[in-house]
Amino acid sequence: MVFMLLALAPGGIGASMQAAGGQGNTTGIAQQQAYLEDRYGLSDPVIVQYAKWLSSISPIKFGTRDLRMPGGERVSVPRPIPAPSLPQVFPPPAMPSVVFTPSTDESQIADFKALQRDAEGARRSYVGSVRLFRDALADVARAVGEPLVGRLDGKGGAKPNDFADVLIVLDAAQAAAAKAQSENISASSGAAPAKVASNKNGEKNLVAPSVAAQHVAQLALARVKLFDAAQSMDAKWALAEETRQRATIAFMAGPYPKSGFPIIPNLVSLDTSDFGVAFSKNRPVWDLIIEALPVTLLINLIAFPISYFIAVPTGVIASVRRGSWFDTLTGVLYLSLYSIPTVLAGVFAIGFLANNQYLGLFPVSGLHDTTADTMAFLPSTNLAGAWHCGWLLDLVWHIALPVLCLTYGSFAILSKQTRASMLDNLSADYVRTAKAKGVARNDVVVRHVFRNSLLPLITMFVGIFPAMLGGSVVVERIFSVPGMGSLILDAISNNDRDLILADTLMIAAVNVFALLLADILYAVADPRVSYE
Amino acid sequence: MISGIDAMRGVGQTRAKGFWADAWGRVLKRNGARFGLFWISLIAFFAIFAPLIANSHPWMIEQIGAGGEVTSRSWPLLANLTATDWLLLLGVFVGAPWILIGPRSLTRSQRTGMFVVAAIQAGVIVVLAPMLIEWASESLRAPWLKEIARGNNGGWPIAAVISLGAACVAAWIPSVDSLWKRVASALAVAAISGTISVTAGGATLINYERYMDNEASGKIRCVWAPIPWSPLYTRSDMVAAPPGAMVEELPNLESWKGTPFGKRFFIMGTDALGGDVLAQMLWACRLSISIGLVSTGLSVLIGVTIGAIMGYFGGWIDLLLFRIVEIFMAVPVLFLLIVAAGVLPRNTYMMMAIIGMFSWTGAARFTRAEFMKLRKQEFVQAAQAVGLPLRAILFRHMLPNGVTPVLVDASFSIAAAISIEATLSYLGLGPDGQASWGKLLSSATASTGTFVWWLAVFPGLAIFLSVLSYNMLGEALRDAIDPKLRKAAH
Repeated sequence: MVFMLLALAPGGIGASMQAAGGQGNTTGIAQQQAYLEDRYGLSDPVIVQYAKWLSSISPIKFGTRDLRMPGGERVSVPRPIPAPSLPQVFPPPAMPSVVFTPSTDESQIADFKALQRDAEGARRSYVGSVRLFRDALADVARAVGEPLVGRLDGKGGAKPNDFADVLIVLDAAQAAAAKAQSENISASSGAAPAKVASNKNGEKNLVAPSVAAQHVAQLALARVKLFDAAQSMDAKWALAEETRQRATIAFMAGPYPKSGFPIIPNLVSLDTSDFGVAFSKNRPVWDLIIEALPVTLLINLIAFPISYFIAVPTGVIASVRRGSWFDTLTGVLYLSLYSIPTVLAGVFAIGFLANNQYLGLFPVSGLHDTTADTMAFLPSTNLAGAWHCGWLLDLVWHIALPVLCLTYGSFAILSKQTRASMLDNLSADYVRTAKAKGVARNDVVVRHVFRNSLLPLITMFVGIFPAMLGGSVVVERIFSVPGMGSLILDAISNNDRDLILADTLMIAAVNVFALLLADILYAVADPRVSYE
Repeated sequence: MISGIDAMRGVGQTRAKGFWADAWGRVLKRNGARFGLFWISLIAFFAIFAPLIANSHPWMIEQIGAGGEVTSRSWPLLANLTATDWLLLLGVFVGAPWILIGPRSLTRSQRTGMFVVAAIQAGVIVVLAPMLIEWASESLRAPWLKEIARGNNGGWPIAAVISLGAACVAAWIPSVDSLWKRVASALAVAAISGTISVTAGGATLINYERYMDNEASGKIRCVWAPIPWSPLYTRSDMVAAPPGAMVEELPNLESWKGTPFGKRFFIMGTDALGGDVLAQMLWACRLSISIGLVSTGLSVLIGVTIGAIMGYFGGWIDLLLFRIVEIFMAVPVLFLLIVAAGVLPRNTYMMMAIIGMFSWTGAARFTRAEFMKLRKQEFVQAAQAVGLPLRAILFRHMLPNGVTPVLVDASFSIAAAISIEATLSYLGLGPDGQASWGKLLSSATASTGTFVWWLAVFPGLAIFLSVLSYNMLGEALRDAIDPKLRKAAH
């Protein structure tokens, strides 16, 4: 269930992305389009795309196992390329059948690589020819005018499937244009003199026949171009499919060791998840996430205890001295802090504390100084006696402001909750008993009341942690920290579908794991709670 | 001196306040809540009157003839008000007074109901008109539809459709009973929404400099709005000017010398494009108010419905729906919102919808918990035994008894929605072509690396105070409603 939970939420967004116009189709780079087509099948319904994505990220794989290159890169079996569907006019291109024996000696890997390159090149040029064919379709539509322009020029774009319809309309338009031309010619030769005489600027009538002729020529040209494009598309598809089959045969011969671990041979295997490649950064998504996730976790895991350590004691003191100036002050202060959006705090912090125009106390961006690689880990003095802050302090100095911006927001919730549950417990009977027994006041507060007030604080975790993770997006953007938030914002601005999906998935995983931890802690802290 | 008998007769007694009146009285006793109300009404005031206060169109133009005499007058500011502006102004000057002091026979709850219905209807029309026009003018539509939407008088047929729909809805206002009243209100609503839809057509490109040039050459005399800047009007010669910067428009004309005319101030400075900050701040009030109310309304609507179904039925329905709630909770809301805002079209309505759609889990959980408590109680069983429809049991009988935690939560959600809007706008994912506090804030730390303090402080303060106001109202409401907390607080 947890897996479905994780997978479903970003999957919903994947669906919405598709609905919003598709990422790959408009971006235009043929390779990326081929990649997305292989990975998702862009013309499939959303639910199939979603299932494909799910199966690629799931550790259980079906069908042919991937191969693994020595560098750890994954090679999948080349997927068959769906043939372009051009009904009626062209006979469907024959599926090329390749008989090919791959080499098995030491040149095997080099041969496979060459075949792969060929297949990719042919694939790219096929995708490019599909685009050209679409352009030709759109040209026809523009030449014909209504009603084709409205249908083909819109957001949906021209699709090869429209070919048959377009042809019918084109035929009709050509016939009509030819008719108009002949009529015009006859009109200008027959009844024209009277009209020209009645019109002040006679050019118009004289121009009309040539416009009609132009239209006929335009239509004919568009038709020729369309057929050329269709033919070249078919040819390129045949080539792409042929090279693809060669590459597949070579793949089956197994130039590299197989990846993963078989459960049922050739059917089900166990493998690491495949998150795909982030084309905007030209790197596997997984590598990017492995780099970014620790940064986000670092900031959050530092900010989190700090907020508890500050808010809980103040809450305890406020409850013990209820109604005092301390109580009122912290109440007002924390509510005000709670009302400062993280963006605002970030902008103010970077503007007034970090910017050189004002105080300039902290670094403006990044996680480390540019010279951090050469630093010693701990603060030290070099031989000349100059003091260096060292790697650790440098890091602390850099993340001080981001952490500060994440911390303050949860003070109000935590301390108010602490105060409320402490007050509840302070008026309980067992406290009166303890006081009556003569237990020291501090012991009553710390041992009896505080211990029993802990539970709601653990529950608060559920509300605070997701908010903090969300807040870290903003903080990372403001302070240019290379974490998950910066990653997802970059991915969104580049429409990098795989990166967005994987990023959301990982954040959800972290979040759910944290919530699970809170549940376990809850059971540990309160023996009465059981999940039986 | 009141004797016991007098007391028994009820002398000196006041009628017990209702639950909500009592709670409201308690809320008003708190200084924080009073300040919150004051600030929110200030924002609401500017939300309504911003187009009249800050506008680059002059209030009035007097055409001056050859001999210096006034030949004609025109009111370009009024002529350029949009549907939303008209609707808000009409609502304030006609609608609200009529509902408040109108027909004597109406009870207070009926008036409140009408007010709510009118507000919702107005909002729906304002949202609907541009959306319908945009939808119809898309290239995929049938040619005749496009013809209508793109044509010069495109507003009229669409206005007719909208006003017909609005009239149908108006005919079913629950608190209006007699037939002629229904017909009258339907006609009134149709007329108003029709006029508004007509003016909702696309904005034309406006050349504000024309006014100044003509004024400088002595052809016209203008009466300017108090802040003579529109939020979208930018002066490329005044980029990032500090507060109090001034431009002088009429250097050549002798008759203007020595008068304050022609001098215009940027009271809060200008942004990175040269737009006036104060004008943008005022115009953004509308976005701030509406985004908080609408998105929270949406999330409460979704959350209460789902929560009510979960809590009332329990069993496998509860199990199933709660999994959906969990799915939404698994990803931090801000991440969901960022992704959604990134891939969906960027306009105000979409923004409201997104925030509403992704933040309903709180309301759903509160409602579920309340309904689980309520469903075994006698009055619910009685309602079931009488055979009331499910709708009536859920929303007539159970909801009023279990809505308080949701209402308190809603107040905090409005605050959250405002800060989310600021966040998204800051990240560049906010609505396009609209002034927003978050957008101003984002230009404070421009790519040049300089920090422009007036772009951070003024919008920042506005965001902070708005969020704080709603939070304080929420606190006060919670303390006033929750008897347990009330006891603990005193």
